[in-house]
Amino acid sequence: MIEYIVIFVAVVSAIIALLQNDLLKAAILTGISGFCVAFLFQILLAPDVALTQAIVEGAIVPVFIALAVLKTKGEEA
Amino acid sequence: MNYLIPLMVVIPILAALIVNIFGGKDKTVKAISIVVAIAIPVIAIIAAVGIQYFGGHDPALLASSLPSNLMGTLVASYNTGIVYVFENIERIFIFLMGIVAFLAVLTYFAEKKEVSGPYLYLIFMGIASVTALMLSNDIFNMYVFFEITALTQVGIIIASSTEDNYEIALKYLILGAIGGPILLLGIGFILGTIGSVNINDIVFAISNNYVNPYAPSLVIGFALILFGWLYSAGLPPFHTIKSAVYSKARPNGSAILQGFSVLCMLAFGIAMYKIFAYVPYFNTAIIVFAILAMALSIAMSAMEVDFRRMIAFLAVGELGFIALGFGIGTQYSIAAALFQAANEIVITALLFIGFGTVYYLTKTSDTRKLGGLIAVDSKMAIMVLLGGFALAGVPPFNGFQSKLMLVQAALDAGYTELAILAIIVSVVIFFTFVKAFHTVYLQPKPKDLKFAHEKIPKATVFSVAVLLIICLALGIFPNIVTDVFIPFAGGLI
Amino acid sequence: MMDIQLASLFASGAFIIIGLFAAIFIDNLIKKIIGIAFIEEGVNLFLICLGFKAGGVVPIFLPGMTADWFAANAAYPLPQALVLTSIVIGASTLAVMLALAMVLYRKHGTLSVSEMMGDEK
Repeated sequence: MIEYIVIFVAVVSAIIALLQNDLLKAAILTGISGFCVAFLFQILLAPDVALTQAIVEGAIVPVFIALAVLKTKGEEA
Repeated sequence: MNYLIPLMVVIPILAALIVNIFGGKDKTVKAISIVVAIAIPVIAIIAAVGIQYFGGHDPALLASSLPSNLMGTLVASYNTGIVYVFENIERIFIFLMGIVAFLAVLTYFAEKKEVSGPYLYLIFMGIASVTALMLSNDIFNMYVFFEITALTQVGIIIASSTEDNYEIALKYLILGAIGGPILLLGIGFILGTIGSVNINDIVFAISNNYVNPYAPSLVIGFALILFGWLYSAGLPPFHTIKSAVYSKARPNGSAILQGFSVLCMLAFGIAMYKIFAYVPYFNTAIIVFAILAMALSIAMSAMEVDFRRMIAFLAVGELGFIALGFGIGTQYSIAAALFQAANEIVITALLFIGFGTVYYLTKTSDTRKLGGLIAVDSKMAIMVLLGGFALAGVPPFNGFQSKLMLVQAALDAGYTELAILAIIVSVVIFFTFVKAFHTVYLQPKPKDLKFAHEKIPKATVFSVAVLLIICLALGIFPNIVTDVFIPFAGGLI
Repeated sequence: MMDIQLASLFASGAFIIIGLFAAIFIDNLIKKIIGIAFIEEGVNLFLICLGFKAGGVVPIFLPGMTADWFAANAAYPLPQALVLTSIVIGASTLAVMLALAMVLYRKHGTLSVSEMMGDEK
C-alpha cells in the first residue's frame, strides 16, 4: 500500500513544485519528489540506484536550486 | 590486445585534465596541447584495426561459464561489456577530426597571447567524447558521450566571450537537456524490448526474429532516437539554434564544433541505419528532414547580413546533404554521405577559420560595414575563395566529388527530383558565397572601417593552407577514402 | 490493485509529461530547469521499471546462491547500471544550467526567459 502513496506523493509534489510562486519552496518540493522516487527505486529492486538517487536528486539538486534561487532573489518575476 | 584503441579516448581526456591543472603557465600548456593535438591523428593512423572488449568481457571467452538455464538462449550470445570497434572508416574520421583540432588549437595560440586552460580542456574533452562516439558499439555509451559532447559544446560557447553567448548557450543547453533524456527514453524502449544495448546484439536479435521487428516499442524507440539525432545533427527544427551556436563561438571553436556535430550525426546515423533500416518510412522520414535542412538553412543564409551567421547556416545546410545520402539508402548513396561528411569537416573548418580572420582584423562581422579586405591579405582571400568553391562543389575540389557521387546515387535510385534539388541548392550556395566574398573582400573599402590588428598571424595562414591542401588532395584522389566507404556502406545494407 | 511496475510506469510517464510541459510553457527560468530535472527523473524511473521482476530479488550475488537460481530470480541489473550514470549526467547538466541562469540574471535582472531573449534582438 505504501508504494502507491509514495508514487502519489512523488507526482503531486512535482506538480505543486511547478505551481509554486515561491521558488525556494519549489526547490524543497523537488527534493521531496526526488526522495520519493528514491524510495520507489528501493521497492523496484535497485537499492544501489536508490542510494545515489537519494543523495543526488534528494539532496544535492535541491541545494543547487536553492542556492541559485537565493543568488537570484527568490521571487518569481 | 590492441591498446591504441582505448588510448585514442584516454589521451585527450588526460590532456584535458593536465591542461586544466597547469592553467596559468602558458608555455607548458601550449607545449602539452600541441604535442597531444599531433598525437591524436598520428595514433589514428598507426593503430591497427581491431575490437576492444572492455573489462575482458569477450563473449567468446565467457560463454562456457554461464548458468545452465541461459545456455543456448539469445542472452548467451550477448556482449556483457562495452565494445569499441575500430575500422578504417573510424580511422579516417578520427584522423580528420584530429587534424582540424590541431589546426584550431594552433590558430587559437596564434591569435590569443594568454591561453585559457578551461577552453583547451573543453576542446580536448570534446575530442575524446566524439572519438568515443565513433568507436563505441554500445548505444548507452554513445548517449553518455553525446551528453558530454553537448556540455562541452555549451562550454566552448561560454568560454568564447562573444556578445550574447550566454543566452545562446542556455538555449542550446535547455534544448539539449530535453533532447538527451528523450534519446535515453528511446534507448530504454529498445533495451526493454531486446534486453541489450549493444548494437550488434540488437541487430542480431531483430534480424533473426527473436523479437517482432514491427513491435510498437521498437518503432517508438526509433522515433525518439530520431529526435535525439536531429538535435545532435542540427537538422530542422534545430537548425536555427545550431547556426547561432556556430556564429557565437570563436572561429577556431566553430571549426571544432562543426566537426563535433558531423561526428555525432555520423555515429548516431550509422547506428540508426544498422538497427532500424527496415522500419517503414525510415528513408522517407530522413529524406524529409534532409530536404527541410537544405532548403531552410540555405534560404536563411541567403538573407543574412552577418557573414558568420551566413557561413554557419551554410554549414548546417551542408549537413542536409549527409542526411540525404543516408535517406536514399543505397550503398552508393551512403558512401557518398560518408564522403560528404569527411569533406564537410575539412571545408567548413577552412571557411570558419578563413572568414574568422576578417573578424580578427576588424572586430565586426556585419557585411554592410566591411569591404576591400583583399588589399590586406590577398593570399588569405584567394584561399577562402577556393574553400568556398569546394563547399559549393566546383571541380577539382572534394565537394565536387562527393556531391557528384550523391547526385549520381539519387539518379540511380530513381529520385530524379532529389538530384535536381541537390544541384539547385549547390548553385544557391555558390551564389550566396560569392556574394559574401564580394562584399567582404572586393567592394571598395568603407571609410569608417577600423582595424584591430594589422596582419593575420602566420599560423592561421598555415592552417588554412593545410586544410586547402587536404581539400584538393581528396578532390583529385577521392579513391583514398571512397575505397573505404563503399565497402563499409555495402556492409550496412 | 494495480501492479507496482505498471503504477511506476504511469508515474514515470507523468513525470516526463509534467517536465516537458514545464520546460516548454513555463516562462520562469528556474522552473524550466526544475521541469528538465523532472524529465530526467521520469526517464530514470522508466529504465528502472524495465529491470523489475515481480517476486524477484535484488541483483546482488550473495554467498549461498547458485548461479542458476540467481539468473532465474534476480531483477535485470543492466538498466540499474545505466541509471547510475544517467543520474550523475542529469545532475551535472542541471548544475551548468543553474550557473548560466545566475549569470544571465546578473546581466538582465530578470529570470523570465521571454524578456531575456527579447533583450537580445
